[in-house]
Amino acid sequence: MPELGRAALVATLGLVLYALVAGAVAARTRRRRLAESAQTALLLTFVTTGVATLVLLLAFARNDYSFVYVWELTSDQLPIQYTLAALWGGQAGSLLFWLLLLTVYSAAAVLLNRRASRDLTVWVVPVLATVMLFFAFMLVVVSSPFATQVAPADGRGLNPSLQNPYMLVHPIFLYLGYVGLTIPFAFAIGSLLARRKDERWIVATRRATLVAWTALGVGQLIGSKWAYEEVGWGGFYAWDPVENAALMPWLAATAFLHSVMVQEKRGMLRLWNVLLVILAFSLSIFGTFLTRSGILSSVHSFTESPIGAWFLGFLAFVVLGSLLLVFARLPLLRTRARLESLVSREATFLYNNLLLVALTLTILWGVTYPIVHEMFLGESRIVGPGYYNFFFVIFGLPLLLLMGIGPLVAWRRASLRSLGLTFAWPAGVAAVTGLVLLALGAGSSIPGLIAYSFSAFVLASIGLEFVRGTRARRALSGGSWPSAFAALVSRNRRRYGGYIVHASIVVLAIGIAGASLYDSVGEGRLTRGSSLAVGDYRLTYRDLVERPGANATLVRAVLDVERGGEQLGVVEAGKNAYTVERQVSNEVGVRTDYLTGEDLFVIAEQVNPDGSVYLRVFVKPLVNLLWLAGFIFLLGSLITLWPDAREQRRLAVRYRGAEAHADS
Amino acid sequence: MARKRNPARLVIALSVAAVLAVFLLYTSIAGDGTPSLAPSALAGKKGVVTLVGDVRPGYRGDSYAGGLRFKLSDRDGASKQTVTVVYTGSVSDQFRAGREVSVKGELRNGTFVAVKDSLVTKCPSKYTAKKS
Repeated sequence: MPELGRAALVATLGLVLYALVAGAVAARTRRRRLAESAQTALLLTFVTTGVATLVLLLAFARNDYSFVYVWELTSDQLPIQYTLAALWGGQAGSLLFWLLLLTVYSAAAVLLNRRASRDLTVWVVPVLATVMLFFAFMLVVVSSPFATQVAPADGRGLNPSLQNPYMLVHPIFLYLGYVGLTIPFAFAIGSLLARRKDERWIVATRRATLVAWTALGVGQLIGSKWAYEEVGWGGFYAWDPVENAALMPWLAATAFLHSVMVQEKRGMLRLWNVLLVILAFSLSIFGTFLTRSGILSSVHSFTESPIGAWFLGFLAFVVLGSLLLVFARLPLLRTRARLESLVSREATFLYNNLLLVALTLTILWGVTYPIVHEMFLGESRIVGPGYYNFFFVIFGLPLLLLMGIGPLVAWRRASLRSLGLTFAWPAGVAAVTGLVLLALGAGSSIPGLIAYSFSAFVLASIGLEFVRGTRARRALSGGSWPSAFAALVSRNRRRYGGYIVHASIVVLAIGIAGASLYDSVGEGRLTRGSSLAVGDYRLTYRDLVERPGANATLVRAVLDVERGGEQLGVVEAGKNAYTVERQVSNEVGVRTDYLTGEDLFVIAEQVNPDGSVYLRVFVKPLVNLLWLAGFIFLLGSLITLWPDAREQRRLAVRYRGAEAHADS
Repeated sequence: MARKRNPARLVIALSVAAVLAVFLLYTSIAGDGTPSLAPSALAGKKGVVTLVGDVRPGYRGDSYAGGLRFKLSDRDGASKQTVTVVYTGSVSDQFRAGREVSVKGELRNGTFVAVKDSLVTKCPSKYTAKKS
């Protein structure tokens, strides 16, 4: 079996090598048959990589410890879902999973575009093959998941903190995001190689970019949920380098998704968009380098491996190669259109982009600061959460406000009078919200108060857009309000899906502000019968219970919860002792108030032999809005992604015209 | 013909300048982070630093009653020198001898007195250790 896996990977390596060489020759010499065979080779990599993945999955399913990789990550006692998810639980497997997703994305991109954008796809194939070549090479030569040994009786087991349902899906989404950013990058580079001046590469990759961006966003939220419940320190994001590694490409991709609209509408920001795509893709590779090189101290220690140097080399190749190509093609990226006014839709997109890129680079600076400081001053220095929180507020609040302003400002030029009329309602709602919250005591945090006022502004402007649009649609075609609303969204999926995504970011901001700026915390050692008061809650330690779990012994402190004299039931917090892994994990107790979105969050820091427990208790207002935001985000993204035949026809006509013009 | 002014450039220039100004303001007010040191490099250092090293066997005490006392050595045995740390606050379940940790604090009379709740234990979550 391992031989089959190794052979499949060698076949993948051979196929991508062929796709690269044949694809490059075909693109340069315009040999159609050769280009088609390069595309076929690229498509076949999905089959060969799929076979390799299947071999490894079967080894996991059979607990075949003759595979070193399987032995390192599983055990006989490990539940089957975690056994199979261990596929991406280790280094070599995660590389294989990465390659598999890349073959899926590449196959989809080639199949969807080889007729509609034939001239461009010819150049995209060698670029995709180059990226694939790197991963296939790593798997064949540097880090194989098919190394074998004499099979031990049992495996070493999976780290308990990874034995969590969120960990079954969190890596899949993150990889879908990271890997998906290869597609816009490959099309942008392909477009430059082909010396194309049009926006075809943007149109061809819009959905792939959205899929990657959505997956990266959802993946991060799931990761936050996992950290909140499993790591259990009372927070959901710690500005750890590994977390930042996922946030940075998402921010860059967010900037890109906004600025492409300016290029599509006005033909502006062409150079900027290419640079953003290169930045987003480079940051996804940089994140992988960070997590695997051991160069930075992170709470995650999946860093001690020799493959970091390979990733650094590949990253240097990507960045330098791309920038050299951009430099060589600068005349093609010149824009004829100019920004006509600083008060226009395109100007707000520009501000949004500058803030997003500034935030990305600020985080990048924070992440690389220890290395830079050590390189030049001989001593490593680290920046703490204070640094990130400061800039998150500085750049985040204006970004939040722009979400409400941007969509309502006219393209090209807007008058101050029209702005006043447009924003009167949202501004009024924001002012009233701010005053009410101030009266209710929310002034204890000024950033929080501003965030809530801005959130009200954005939600009001989004609501206004939906009301105006629905009213106009109803006036145009009659019918009921719901049917007019459905028709409005259906006919403008990109626009109204985007508004829903904006609403999700507002909900997220409200949740972050509530949970971070208005939370309460208390701690203390409790013996049976004693109580601890935190916020409006009182917890009374009733008993310590022990019971067997699937592959661990569960110890729980049972606590009665009371608020304002009302009994709210019990919450249990404690520890799991895993026998095979010989590790203990903290298991927090969470009581959610679904009406207010508030959590009572209990950590049993210590469970002592005398039966006493040391508890740390948080009251986190509105924290559940974070997870609700994830669903709204997904809904908005799906609406935006949903195929729109009208738009496809419009684009087809537009690009037929553009190609005819270019050919003449 | 007079050259047409480009507002985009002005916006970009002003934004970059604003970002730099905010950055300088922040770093001048809040400082530029804490030094991250290995135990062997700690001697003679004044002020708050982040100590990064491996936990030695034989730690004792209670982090919520009198403090947890443990010794740290350089990562991967780079030096035999150890530093005694006294720590109060939250301790991860991952904390044990041999694990890499980082902890913030300062050296007082030869003992590293840690800031409460600043202990971070690296999670041996994924990926195989470097082959020797």
